[in-house]
Amino acid sequence: MDRDLLKTELKQHIIKYLNLLEKAPADIIDDQPLFGDGLGLDSIDSIELVVLLEREYGIKINDPKDGRKIFTSIDTMVDYIIANRTK
Amino acid sequence: MSRVVVTGLGVISALGDSVFSNHDALVKGTCGISTGELVKSKYTESLRFGEVKIENEKLKSLLGISDPSATRTSLLALHALNEAIKDCGLDVALISGYDTALIGASTVGGMCQTDELYLDAKSETVGSAFMASYDCASVTLFLRERYGIKGVTNTINTACSSSANAIKYGTQLINNGYAKRAIVGGVDSLAKFTINGFNSLGILSPGFCRPFDKDRNGLNLGEGAAFLVLEREEDVKNKKPYCYVAGYCNSNDAFHPSSLSENGEGPYRAMKGALDLASLAPAEIGFIGTHGTGTENNDEVESRAMMRIFEKVPPFASAKSKIGHTLGASAAVEAVFSILALQHGEIYPSLNFSNPIESTGLRPVSVTQKLNLRHVMSNSFGFGGNCTSLIFSKA
Amino acid sequence: MFIHQSSCISPQSTFGNIDLDTLIAPENNILKVVEPKYENIPLNILRRMGKAVRIGVGAALPLIEKANKLDGIIIGSANGGMEDCVKFLNQIIEYDEGRLTPTNFVQSTPNAIAAQIGLTTANKGYNITHVHRGLAFENALLDAMMMLKENNDATYLLGGVDEVSSYNYNLERLGGWYKKEKITGVDLYNSQTNGSIAGEGSAMFVVNNESAGSFLEVKAIKMLHTNDSAEVAAQLNHFNDVNGPHNAWLSGENGDVRVQPFYQACENNLTGDMAILHFKHFTGEHPSTTALALWLANRFFETKKIPSHFFKSTPAEKPIGSILLYNSGKGEQHSFLSLRAVEH
Repeated sequence: MDRDLLKTELKQHIIKYLNLLEKAPADIIDDQPLFGDGLGLDSIDSIELVVLLEREYGIKINDPKDGRKIFTSIDTMVDYIIANRTK
Repeated sequence: MSRVVVTGLGVISALGDSVFSNHDALVKGTCGISTGELVKSKYTESLRFGEVKIENEKLKSLLGISDPSATRTSLLALHALNEAIKDCGLDVALISGYDTALIGASTVGGMCQTDELYLDAKSETVGSAFMASYDCASVTLFLRERYGIKGVTNTINTACSSSANAIKYGTQLINNGYAKRAIVGGVDSLAKFTINGFNSLGILSPGFCRPFDKDRNGLNLGEGAAFLVLEREEDVKNKKPYCYVAGYCNSNDAFHPSSLSENGEGPYRAMKGALDLASLAPAEIGFIGTHGTGTENNDEVESRAMMRIFEKVPPFASAKSKIGHTLGASAAVEAVFSILALQHGEIYPSLNFSNPIESTGLRPVSVTQKLNLRHVMSNSFGFGGNCTSLIFSKA
Repeated sequence: MFIHQSSCISPQSTFGNIDLDTLIAPENNILKVVEPKYENIPLNILRRMGKAVRIGVGAALPLIEKANKLDGIIIGSANGGMEDCVKFLNQIIEYDEGRLTPTNFVQSTPNAIAAQIGLTTANKGYNITHVHRGLAFENALLDAMMMLKENNDATYLLGGVDEVSSYNYNLERLGGWYKKEKITGVDLYNSQTNGSIAGEGSAMFVVNNESAGSFLEVKAIKMLHTNDSAEVAAQLNHFNDVNGPHNAWLSGENGDVRVQPFYQACENNLTGDMAILHFKHFTGEHPSTTALALWLANRFFETKKIPSHFFKSTPAEKPIGSILLYNSGKGEQHSFLSLRAVEH
């Protein structure tokens, strides 16, 4: 899949999984931090994102601590998905 | 005002089905945690639990219950309630009066029947026998009916501190003249619902939980029930009470839905408030039964909060290293353990501890020891930042 | 105990522009809440809330913003966040106990409402949730009264919340607690069949021991568990003797022929010329309706006006200064409240 298409699809999944009210894919900036000051996500969200990767892309992350590096931004997530997706 | 004293105890946990057997196991430092045998879940054999190894049918026949709507939660609760009522020596006719209160606490209620609930929530035509048994109140209502108790009856759910608040509420009912005696406690049974809930948060240990250890990696779920009979000291002439309820405080951490603030503001305020109500200086506390779940967050925060209050942290242990986290029952079960420590003048070890958390250096009690105790503290902290501390003192 | 600020999110126009005269009709025998926009709940918090938590926090926040200080949050809710509970349950089955998302689990606990109010307003005080089915709110109210006796200068937020979720709706429906035939408005009280109409709602109160600025004093509360209507009537007589006289009777009758004998036995026993009021056509039936009835009583005292649809008897000519409220959960759980208007 084209990288830009994947980005939009991923943003749609994030909005759905985290129920980000009144947000559209365009509101999530590719290199903006997802946690802390950026989107303001927290530790429960990081678990939700682990579930998203497993259900949508067949990627299993066993140690949630690894998640924090992968979930730095949309760009880092997309890199990881391209390298590791099984579906 | 007359003090509120504890005159009856009843408990069932992974350590045993009576106060006597639980005490024996505490003294011996026995661990009640093992792989599951009875609970139905994908994780029954791969995870470890503080399971009560008595099947539902066995519990029913022991208790003389044939009601098909009785859930495991209700059965465990009745087992402990029966023992507490017998232990306090009160006439059953007195128990059923308008001046006896019954305060239960649970977080799972009848949802231990997870699969039946799933079907009933979708069924078009007929429901299962458990239809009116899923909520937490169903447990207290089941117990109330067994003894025909007519006084204030209530069920509290503040997650893992639920039964500490039941003890607090019962004490207040007596102090304010709404009851002469109160039977208070809590219960939870192992359920697919909670196993998957805690698993989804990634806080279940793959092995045995290791409270306060540097390398702790999560909690073990457990099940059980405990009830305490509370009476006014002036009404108790011909028996020796175990202790009196000296202090309680409930405070909110207001930080995060499922974890505690770094500084432990909620735990600090709960412990401080209980000390203030009991008019005790921190140094007078001889032992702390900690919440000590074995999760990374809880044990470090609880340690920090203890260090903020106590110049020298008193001997402490986590009962969860032996019975797992019994959720809505934990505060009541652990209160019984703290009261036994007070009664027998001894403190019981925390298991699976090797190295202290670097930032605190605190070490829990490692072997059973004799210790003259006057005041003990029991901590319970739950999801939603619900923190409650209790203090029991020698009567 | 005196009520100060209060707010209510219900199936009727009770939040924002309050209009008690116009009745919104149930749809398929369900009265669903009219949800406001929740402008004061941050979006990042709102996104995780189920309906019960939303209507609880939504009703509480405007009060807390106005209150000078708040020493704790005391909530009664039989079911809490049941919709989330079912969502989590579905995940367990659908994904065969695989990796599940935790938000539904965290939000499914009944104490999520009180906890979220505490979290949203950084309130580190007393925080408790009573879940005793039809007496959850009543126990919360008694808790508040006892806390105020122990802490004379304190102020608490007291509330009752319950939602209609697909889960509890279905269980109650299977249990025969909702009418099969369509019914609307005060026709409910003429019904000769089992069941009532479903409802949901949230009512919040700021309470303390200060009479100044309050319109309603809660004088006394009594709770009872029994299946015997004669016992309820006898206990009510005793309660009325101790706390009366009252000049209005606010009945929780709900059109269910199985529960009506309890209300009727009490009504028959009452002496004197009390005005008779009822409210379930306005709220629908759920375990925390006493909270909504209390909000209505407070409104009646404050505005000195009672819309005619609330009257079962001929509307009273004199203003009503005291109310005896009786509500029953399924003819098994019962509560009496003695309420007095505060004169200024």
